[in-house]
Amino acid sequence: MIKRFFDWLKQPLGLIAVGIVFLALFSIAAYGLYTTQQSPEQPIQFPHKTHVAFGIQCLYCHPGASKGPSAGLPSQAKCWACHNQIQKTQTSALLAPLKDAVLSGQSIEWVPVAIVPDFVQFNHRAHIAAGKNCEDCHGDVSQMNIAENPQVMNMGWCLNCHVESAGEDQEKLVKLTDCGTCHY
Amino acid sequence: MSEKFSRRDFLKLAGMGAATTAVLTGCGPASRYVKREPYQQMPEYNYNGQSTYYATTCRECAAGCGLVIRTIQGRAIKTEGNANHPLNLGKTCARGQATLHGLYNPNRVRGPIKHARGDRLYAKANDPFNDNFDDAEPNMSWDEALQTVADALTKYKPEEIGFLMGMAPDHLFDLVTDLANATGINAPVRFGALGMFESRATLSKAAETLFGEARMPFFDVGGAQVVLSFGANFLETWLSPVSYTRGFASLRQAETKMRGKLVQFEARMSATGGKADEWVPLRPGTEALVALAIGRLASEIRGGAMPRVFSSVDPIDVASKSGVKLEALEHIAAMFANSTGALAIPGGAALGQSNGLAVAEAVLALNALADNFGKPGGVYFSPLAPSQTEYQRPASAKEMQDFVQKMKDGKFKALFIHGVNPVFELPASMDFKGALANVEQVISFATFPDETAAEADFIFPDHHGLESWGYQRVVTGSDLPVLSGAQPVVAPYYDTRAAADVLISAAQLAGGSFAQALPFKDEVEFLRGKVSALMGEANGSFSAMDAVAFMASFQQFGGWWKMSDGRTAPSAADALNQNVKGDAAEFAGEGEFFFIPFVSPTLAEAGANKPWLQELPDPTTTVMWNTWLEMNPETAHELHIEYDDVVRVVSEAGAVELPVYVYPAIRPDTVAMPFGQGHTAYGRYAEGRGVNPADLFGGHFNEAGDLAFAGMKVKIEKTGKKRPLSRLESMMGVYGVGLGEEH
Amino acid sequence: MATLNDLKISEVKLSEGEGGKWGMVIDQDICTGCQACVAACAMENNISFVGEEDSGYGRSMHWIRIERFWEGEYPEVKMTPNQPMLCQQCGSAPCEPVCPAFATVHSQAEKLNLQVYNRCVGTRYCANNCPYQVRSFNWRDYKRPEPLANQLNPDVTVRRRGVMEKCTFCIQRIHKAQDQAKAEGREVMDGEFTTACAQACPANAITFGRTDDPRSLVSQLAKRRGHGAKHLEELGTLPNVTYFKGG
Repeated sequence: MIKRFFDWLKQPLGLIAVGIVFLALFSIAAYGLYTTQQSPEQPIQFPHKTHVAFGIQCLYCHPGASKGPSAGLPSQAKCWACHNQIQKTQTSALLAPLKDAVLSGQSIEWVPVAIVPDFVQFNHRAHIAAGKNCEDCHGDVSQMNIAENPQVMNMGWCLNCHVESAGEDQEKLVKLTDCGTCHY
Repeated sequence: MSEKFSRRDFLKLAGMGAATTAVLTGCGPASRYVKREPYQQMPEYNYNGQSTYYATTCRECAAGCGLVIRTIQGRAIKTEGNANHPLNLGKTCARGQATLHGLYNPNRVRGPIKHARGDRLYAKANDPFNDNFDDAEPNMSWDEALQTVADALTKYKPEEIGFLMGMAPDHLFDLVTDLANATGINAPVRFGALGMFESRATLSKAAETLFGEARMPFFDVGGAQVVLSFGANFLETWLSPVSYTRGFASLRQAETKMRGKLVQFEARMSATGGKADEWVPLRPGTEALVALAIGRLASEIRGGAMPRVFSSVDPIDVASKSGVKLEALEHIAAMFANSTGALAIPGGAALGQSNGLAVAEAVLALNALADNFGKPGGVYFSPLAPSQTEYQRPASAKEMQDFVQKMKDGKFKALFIHGVNPVFELPASMDFKGALANVEQVISFATFPDETAAEADFIFPDHHGLESWGYQRVVTGSDLPVLSGAQPVVAPYYDTRAAADVLISAAQLAGGSFAQALPFKDEVEFLRGKVSALMGEANGSFSAMDAVAFMASFQQFGGWWKMSDGRTAPSAADALNQNVKGDAAEFAGEGEFFFIPFVSPTLAEAGANKPWLQELPDPTTTVMWNTWLEMNPETAHELHIEYDDVVRVVSEAGAVELPVYVYPAIRPDTVAMPFGQGHTAYGRYAEGRGVNPADLFGGHFNEAGDLAFAGMKVKIEKTGKKRPLSRLESMMGVYGVGLGEEH
Repeated sequence: MATLNDLKISEVKLSEGEGGKWGMVIDQDICTGCQACVAACAMENNISFVGEEDSGYGRSMHWIRIERFWEGEYPEVKMTPNQPMLCQQCGSAPCEPVCPAFATVHSQAEKLNLQVYNRCVGTRYCANNCPYQVRSFNWRDYKRPEPLANQLNPDVTVRRRGVMEKCTFCIQRIHKAQDQAKAEGREVMDGEFTTACAQACPANAITFGRTDDPRSLVSQLAKRRGHGAKHLEELGTLPNVTYFKGG
């Protein structure tokens, strides 16, 4: 039975069928990969570019980055502190979700773009302390509108940088390539 | 061959399948679609990803240990001890650790509920891993609830209104006491199963007889050299286990002194007995005799006139009655007499017998002989808490029986119950549940859907301890007078409301003397008034210029305590001239086995609904998730009983069926079982698990009115059934038969 | 410039068999077996409870357990000193060489035995080879009914079915303290932090710290009490937990 199936596969028709199946799988995979590179839907079309252009520092809205593991998302009270005084907030359709959320006391559900799996323990502070800048990992946010992830944040990407920054320092290399540094 | 699936083919297909699955699932965007909701307004002291720590007081028992709770963004994550708190110095017991499993318990009362008595408060779920919310839906608004309470207060005459409260928290007890004093309703009665098993009334009564003051004694285990413990399970649940454990550690391993010794007299080796250097399995009921005999022998070694209290006892007679060899008595007496730091502690099952008071007196007399009153390693009176003028003990079982009788006689029309679960905790023979039928309106403030709440007309749930304001007076365990402070560490998870707030609001609605008695905006204002009364006190752990600052410090430090030793020395003048009746205890019932119930060291009275407490192995038997009957191997052999055989234990008051644990360290004429399981409600983790020894208790009391819970004899009947116990030391192991089927 | 691919195994100095860094001293004479450490560990490390049936099969997930044995027969029966048993963080660990997925590896930086959950494929070889029987396996996805999950510690990975786990010496606390110390430009001080079990222990029977620092409390205690024992030392596992039995 199974042998007959394999024999059939070896026929030209079979080979075509295999080819079609392979192509289909490949396209699905390619599409899957493509979607991971898309920015997700956000509740508010937040333009980072505009805010950075006003000279607002990253740490103003994400102060956790220098203090602890999580950079954090700003509370809407923080948004409102400025937007409250901006005329456009009252009229702009793009800003309506913020206004509604603040006035109705609803939370805004953001979709984070730069996340690591939950078996990775990432600490922002250590990276800032080591002299990394935000754009080293998050890309040039001043050129982005809705936040997007400029690179695949996988372990190889992390390790490359860890090895690089250790340089010739053996002790640092051991520390930075230790499994227990990120996984526990 | 053609019909066969070769290994090679299989690998090919499997490989293709695996690749497809990986492609289809691994790269999808679904894994990325996490949603994060930032705060609408970041609370003060909070940072993203940073912990905030709040000091509060543990409510798992009434000891009043200070806790520091780690919270992250409004969730309580971890319990730690408050390192500055004089009672526990940064340490906690297992129950304190598991308090979060109470806070986030899947079965809590979620809002005010009116329901028919006996109705379930949550759907029955046998599967502890069931993910569904199945608690009863709140069916009242809090406004209706407040009106209900106000109506109950005004509809009935003051003397028809009763309050039954647990041993914690003290601020609510004070509030109700103030209310009762001002309006003439019955003074609140406090009770707790732990207090019942600790025989608190007996301890203070013995202190009164011997020293003239009804106070809670404190035994300085840490400073002693030789400790004789007559049944006191002070390393488990007794009075203030964290503090006593610290004492035990310095008894054994203090840098400044020799390693001290612990001798434990008890018929069944408790976890405390397991740590003893010598374990003396005496015949239950002869503790007083043994204590007196040791006193006599020790006096003889010391020389001088024989104290009156020991003069009438005959050690040879005692040796035969108690089953302790005379040489053993002499050896222990010599150790006691020759030590510079000798201490004797009465407690546990030794006090829960018909002669419990005599045991307590005889043991305290031993301390008088050792002349250790008010000395390091000796007996003190525990300091009274700040602003307290006399020791208040919870109701004894006898007083509870009177209370239940009043209920049966219809003396109470409205009964408010807070912080205690009498349907489960009181002996079934007292029939608290039946007595409730004669109370017109029962209002429970239960946080959890326990047995008593299920029998109430209304449940107006209080916050969990970690969501609550309050304070707790430290009754014993610290050398300083301590008022331990509680504050909410997280916002209330459900639509619950502080019982104090409910009473204050209802009193306002009721008007008249009620409104005058509680003229507060809310609980916090009441609390601030009580706490700031301490502002003028000298020598406090902190001081402040005004009430607001004082209250802030009170919250920050987790309480207020005096910085001077508040312990006092009992007067030893008459202690040795008493006449202590050394008769052996009397036992009720027909059976051939002495019966020793003991409080489960891991579950205690209210731990059964916390899953991780259930999964903690019992320190002596390593049994988890169940109740067991401890039986000597010899006895088991004679009766042809093996591990896990279900037996029927019959007392004069009732019968229960439970599996046997063959326990090597128990007298052959004695059986023992833990208290803590056997719930018929109280959430999915507690219900239907094990049996409750309170079902076996008859209505017998010692001279001080405490329950003679160990004053019974029981019969053992085989049932032929088997129910495997889940044990850490399991002989079943990974490859064993496991549980699940009874055969 | 070095990249990941240039990194050769031979260049990484193998530290197996070398002295440890973190260690523990457990005083069995004062351990009362109260289970506070077990509860504290479970709460800190997001350990699942498994229920009655699975715990009856020996599948309970305690990372630390308290062993007690009986000596003699009634009436001369004696309970041996309670023995808290947890991962000994062996310097030469039997669990490590048998892992086919390199999920059980030795941390060169912290000198601990690591369990890398995302690498673990669940062969359970490590648990079979552990002479201390301190590894526990997730036989199922043990659910925490809502809202119990609110209590989870965000610093520790929540494990899923098919993954081995064991005591980590609270490595998340080690990292936290190191991070804090680094931010303040100093070294981690002795006693600045401790493991969850040591922190809870009412008798102070567990002490945790740097064994490679002779001034630390663990080193001092080990020296002072003198006759400490390491379990199954004869197997050459080089355990990092020292026990004091009694008297």
